[in-house]
Amino acid sequence: MSGGARRPHRRGRMAERPEARAASLAELLSLESAKLLELYRKRENLSGDVLAGAGRLVSVPPPSAQLGAADKLRRLHAALLQCRSLTEGAVAKEDDEMGGGTGEYETLRKTVKERLSSLVNTVGELVKAAGGPTPALTPPASGRGSEPDDPSLFALKLWLFRVFAEVDFWARTAAGALRTLRNARSRGARR
Amino acid sequence: MYTYFNDIYLNLLPVYIVFGVFMEEEITESGDSLQSSSCCFPSGVFHCGPENITVTTSGYIILLTWQDDPSCKSVHDVLTYELEVLIADKLVHYEEVAVTSTQIGSTHSWNWSSHLATECASHMLKLRSRFANCTSQWKLEQTVPAAHNHSDLPEVYPRDEVFQVGSRATFCCVVPMGEVLDKLYLVGHSSPKWNVSEINSYTYALTVDLNKASMTSCTDIICKTNTSDNGACAYIGYPPADRDLICETRDFQSVDCMWTAGRNTHLAIGSPTTYQLLESQCAGGSNDRCSHKMQVVSGEWNGTLIAKNQLGTVVLTDRVDLTKRVRMFAPQNVTFNSSNVRLQWEWTTQMYKDLDITCQLNIIDGERHAERQCVGVGLNFAVLNELIPNWTYTVIIRCGTTQHFWKWSEWSSSVEFHTMGDVPDPLDVWTQVKDSQTIITWKVPLPTQSHGDIIDYEITWTPTSKQQKQARVIHPKHSFALSLDSRQDYVVSVGARNKYGSSSPSTITIPILNTGSGGVKLSRTQGSNSGFNLSWSASQTATGGYIIDWCPTIGPCTVDWLKVPPNETNINIFSKDFKDGVRYLLSLHACTHRAPVLLERMEGYFKEKLIQDHLFTLKWKQKNMDVEVSWDPVALEEQSAFIQGYILYYWDNISRVMNVSTDNSHATSLIAKNLQIGSYTFTVKANTAVGQCGATSITATLNSLTDNFIKAIGITLATIFVLLCLIVILCYRNWECIKLKVYPPIPMPVLKDKWSTSLTKQSFHSVFVEMSHHTEEEFMAIPELHSKSEAPVPDFVDQGNVSSQTTNGYHKMPVEKLPTSSTAIPCQTPLLPPPSPPLSSSLVKDGHLNHSFTLNSTDTSVEGSNGYQPQKQREQPEVPENSLPCVLTYILLPQVPSE
Repeated sequence: MSGGARRPHRRGRMAERPEARAASLAELLSLESAKLLELYRKRENLSGDVLAGAGRLVSVPPPSAQLGAADKLRRLHAALLQCRSLTEGAVAKEDDEMGGGTGEYETLRKTVKERLSSLVNTVGELVKAAGGPTPALTPPASGRGSEPDDPSLFALKLWLFRVFAEVDFWARTAAGALRTLRNARSRGARR
Repeated sequence: MYTYFNDIYLNLLPVYIVFGVFMEEEITESGDSLQSSSCCFPSGVFHCGPENITVTTSGYIILLTWQDDPSCKSVHDVLTYELEVLIADKLVHYEEVAVTSTQIGSTHSWNWSSHLATECASHMLKLRSRFANCTSQWKLEQTVPAAHNHSDLPEVYPRDEVFQVGSRATFCCVVPMGEVLDKLYLVGHSSPKWNVSEINSYTYALTVDLNKASMTSCTDIICKTNTSDNGACAYIGYPPADRDLICETRDFQSVDCMWTAGRNTHLAIGSPTTYQLLESQCAGGSNDRCSHKMQVVSGEWNGTLIAKNQLGTVVLTDRVDLTKRVRMFAPQNVTFNSSNVRLQWEWTTQMYKDLDITCQLNIIDGERHAERQCVGVGLNFAVLNELIPNWTYTVIIRCGTTQHFWKWSEWSSSVEFHTMGDVPDPLDVWTQVKDSQTIITWKVPLPTQSHGDIIDYEITWTPTSKQQKQARVIHPKHSFALSLDSRQDYVVSVGARNKYGSSSPSTITIPILNTGSGGVKLSRTQGSNSGFNLSWSASQTATGGYIIDWCPTIGPCTVDWLKVPPNETNINIFSKDFKDGVRYLLSLHACTHRAPVLLERMEGYFKEKLIQDHLFTLKWKQKNMDVEVSWDPVALEEQSAFIQGYILYYWDNISRVMNVSTDNSHATSLIAKNLQIGSYTFTVKANTAVGQCGATSITATLNSLTDNFIKAIGITLATIFVLLCLIVILCYRNWECIKLKVYPPIPMPVLKDKWSTSLTKQSFHSVFVEMSHHTEEEFMAIPELHSKSEAPVPDFVDQGNVSSQTTNGYHKMPVEKLPTSSTAIPCQTPLLPPPSPPLSSSLVKDGHLNHSFTLNSTDTSVEGSNGYQPQKQREQPEVPENSLPCVLTYILLPQVPSE
C-alpha cells in the first residue's frame, strides 16, 4: 500500500451540510405531499366547493421581514412540528375509522409521514446550530385542528384533506426557505 | 348511531306491538284539539290515556314509548291509541295502535320512519287513546332538530346514514342565520331529478334518487351557502347477496364452509357485512369462507350461514353428511429411499389412517411430468419404477378419499431425488464414406441415455474372414475413420462405456462395394419452416426400416441421420442446424438384414435465399447489331437457391428496359438483338423460386460497322507509322555501327618516318587545320594521326555532358545519356579489318557520326548544316577523352617511344 498522504475529499455530497440536506428533504417532501393530496382528493372524490373553504390547521406567528434567519427557522420548525403531529393523528384516525390498506395511497401516506419526520429533525438541528432554544420534541397540545370538528365521516374526510394540504403548504414553504438559506450559506462559504 | 338504535329496537321487540301501517292516502287534519276529548263516561272525562311518553330519534327513525294511565286497567277490551305526526304544522302521518286488554299496563312502543331526518325539522307527535266513542286528550311530544344548535356552518342531515341503491332519500341543509343557500347536491350524482325544497326559512331539503353506489368511502352531500359550505356522508350500497354455501371437513374436528361472495355491497365502511356460521360470528375478515369447531360424525348435518348488513340479511344453508365431504390435508414429510425406490410420507391426522385413500403422484423429470395413482387404506408410501437411471426427479403428491371422493388435498411440498446410475443405452450408429475412408459415426448419448458420465467408446470391426480389430475413442469424440478393404464385407460394432459398465454394442455392416450413389436417382425437394417433408415408396428390402441422412452439398459435412420404422414412408426432418440458403443432400437408405441399401437421393434447401448481387463475371461481344452477354457457370457455393434460368435486362438512355431470358439453368450467355448504335447497360439476373437475384451489370457501347472498318485501317496505319519511327530511331542510334558495317574504315598504312613522329607530337588542332588543305590521300591519314595523339578512350561516354564547339569556344551542353551497350559493343571487337574508307564520308566527331559536317576533297571549306562556317585558323578544340569509342578498338598505330 502506498504510504502517501491522502488527498482530502472535495466538498460535495460526501460532506453535505445540514441546510443542504434539509433543503433536499423539503423539496422531496413537497413533491410527495402534492402527490398525496391529489391522490386523496381523487380517491375520495372531494368536491371543490368544500375544499376551497378549508381553513388552516397550523398556527404560527405571521411571517415578518424583521425576522432574522434563526427566527425564521424557528417559525418553520414550529410549523413542521405541528404538521407532523397532525399527520400522525390523521393517519391513525383514518385507519381506525376507514380501515387500513396496502395500496398506492397508503404507501405514499407512509412515505410522507416518514419524510416529514426526517425534515423536522433536520430543521431542528439547524435551529440548534443557529443558537436558538432547544426545539421541543412535541408541539404544544393544540385543541384546534388536532381532531375533526365533528365525528361524522364527512368531517373526518375534510379534516384529512386539510391536514394533507397543510403538510403540502409547509413542505413547499420549507423548500423555498431552506433553498434560500442554503444558497446564502454557500455564498458566504465561498467568500 | 343507527346500529345502536337498531339494537334497542330489537330488544324492545317483545313488548312492542307493531301497528305501523303507512298511510298512503293523503292524511287530512283531524281538526281535534287537546280540549276536544269526548267521553261517553258519566263523569264526562275519559282518563285512560298515555303517560310517561318518551321520544327517541335517530336519522329518520322516531321511537315512541309510553305507558297506560292506571285508569286504563278498567278497560277490558281493545284500547286504541291514535298517533299523529306533524312537520311544520302539517300532518304527515296518522296511525292507530291497538292494545289488547292483556297488554294494558305494560310499556308500549311505536316507531316510524320519517321521510325527513329528525335533525332537519321538528316532528310534532300527538298521541291519545280511544275506547268506544271516548277519546282522551292529545298528548304532545316534539323532537328537537339538531340544527337548532346555531352552528356557524351549514349543517347537512342525516349524517353517515346507509341507503340502498335505488331508494329515494331526502337530505336537508340547515343554513346559519343570515346566510342564503347556494347549492345542495350529492357528489357524483348527476341526476337532474333533484328536488330542493324549503322547509322553513333556514332549512332546505333535497330529495334524490340514489342510483349509484358509493365508489369511495362514502358519498358526500354538499351544502354551500353564499359564505360557507359543509357536507355530510351517505353510504349508498347493496344488501348482501352471497350464495352457494358448501361445507366440508378436513380433520373431522371442524367444519369449513365456503360460499360465493355476492356483489360488492359498497358498504365496507358504512355497514360491512357480518357473517355468522352456526350462530358463531365468523372472524378473520374473509367474505367467502368460515370455520367452526365441532366433532364431525356420520349423518346429515345442517349448516347455516347468515350474512347481514344494515340493508338486509341472507341466510344460506347446506345439508350434508360431512364424512362424505372430506378434503384431506396434504401428505407431510415426503421422502425417497433410493435403494428400494420408495416414496413415503406421513399423515398428521390420525383419522386418515383408517381411511381408504387414493394418492396422485406428479413425477417431473425436468421437462416432462407423469402422473401415477396409488390406492390403499391409510396409504403412506408408493414404489416408483421405470425411472431413468442417474436422473433427478421432483415429485409432489396429493390425496383424497377413495370412497365418496370429494376433493383432492393440496399438493405436498415437492421432494427431489436422484436415481442410481446404470450402463449406457445402445448407441445410434451410422456410416459415411469420405474419400477412400469409411467414417463410423454415432450420436453422443443424451443425458437420459448415458446413465452416467461416458468415458469412451469401443469400436470393433471384423472382416468376415479375418480376425477382429478393436479401437477406443475418448468421449466426446463420436466418430472413427476406417480404411477398409473394399473387396469384403465388414461388421462394425460400437459400444459406450461409463463407470457402471459398457452398453450393448450397436453393429452396422459395411458392404463390399461402397460405391456411393451410383445408379440412384437424384431428385429435388423443398424445405419449409418445419424442415424437409419427405415421402417415398415402400421398399421390400427395408425390413429394418429406413435411415435418412443429410449433409450440406458443399463444404464440410458432419452427417446427421434419422431412423424411420419400416411401416412409415414419410417423415418430417428438422434440425436446429439447418441453415437458410444452404443446399442439403438427403439420402434414403433401406435397413436390410445386411448392409444398408441406398434407395434415393434428394437435394434441396431448408429455405432458399436470394443470391447476392454481383454474382456473374460478365463479358460482351457485338455481333452485327446484336450483343452477346456471357458469363461463367455459377459455382454451387454461390447458389443459395436453385437457379431456374437467367434473364438479361438491357436498356440505353432513351428506350425502355427490354429483356431476354432463358429457362436453361446451365446457360452461360444471352443475346440482346437488334440494338441501336450507342451505350447500353446489360444486367443479368438469376431466376430462382424466391425471386430474381444475383444482379450483375455491364455497360457496352455499340459502334457502326463502317466505323469499325475505318478504325481498323486507322489502327493499321498507326501501327505501321510507329514501326517506321522505331526503325528510324534505331538506325539513328546505331548509325555508326551500321555505317561501319556498311562502310568499314580503311586501315592506315604504318608510317615510320619523322614526319609522322613529329606530327604526332604536334597539336592535334593544327594537324586538323592543315588537313583541310591536304589531298585526299593525306586526308585519309588524319584519323590515324588524330587517334594517335589521344589518350586511351574509355568504354563509355560522358554520362552527363558532351562538349560541342561554338564560335566562342567550348561549353558544356547536356545530352542524353547514350547506352554503351547499343553503341560500343558492336564496334569494340571487329571480326574483320576495317575496309578502305570511301572517298567521301562523314567525319566522326566525339565518337559519334557527325551529320553536320561533310568533308569534300574538292572543297576546302567545311560547312555545317546549320550554316556554321568553321575557320581554318581557329584552334581545334581538344577532343574529349571519351570520344571515338569505336576507333581505338581497331585502329592500332605503332607506338612511338616518347622522348
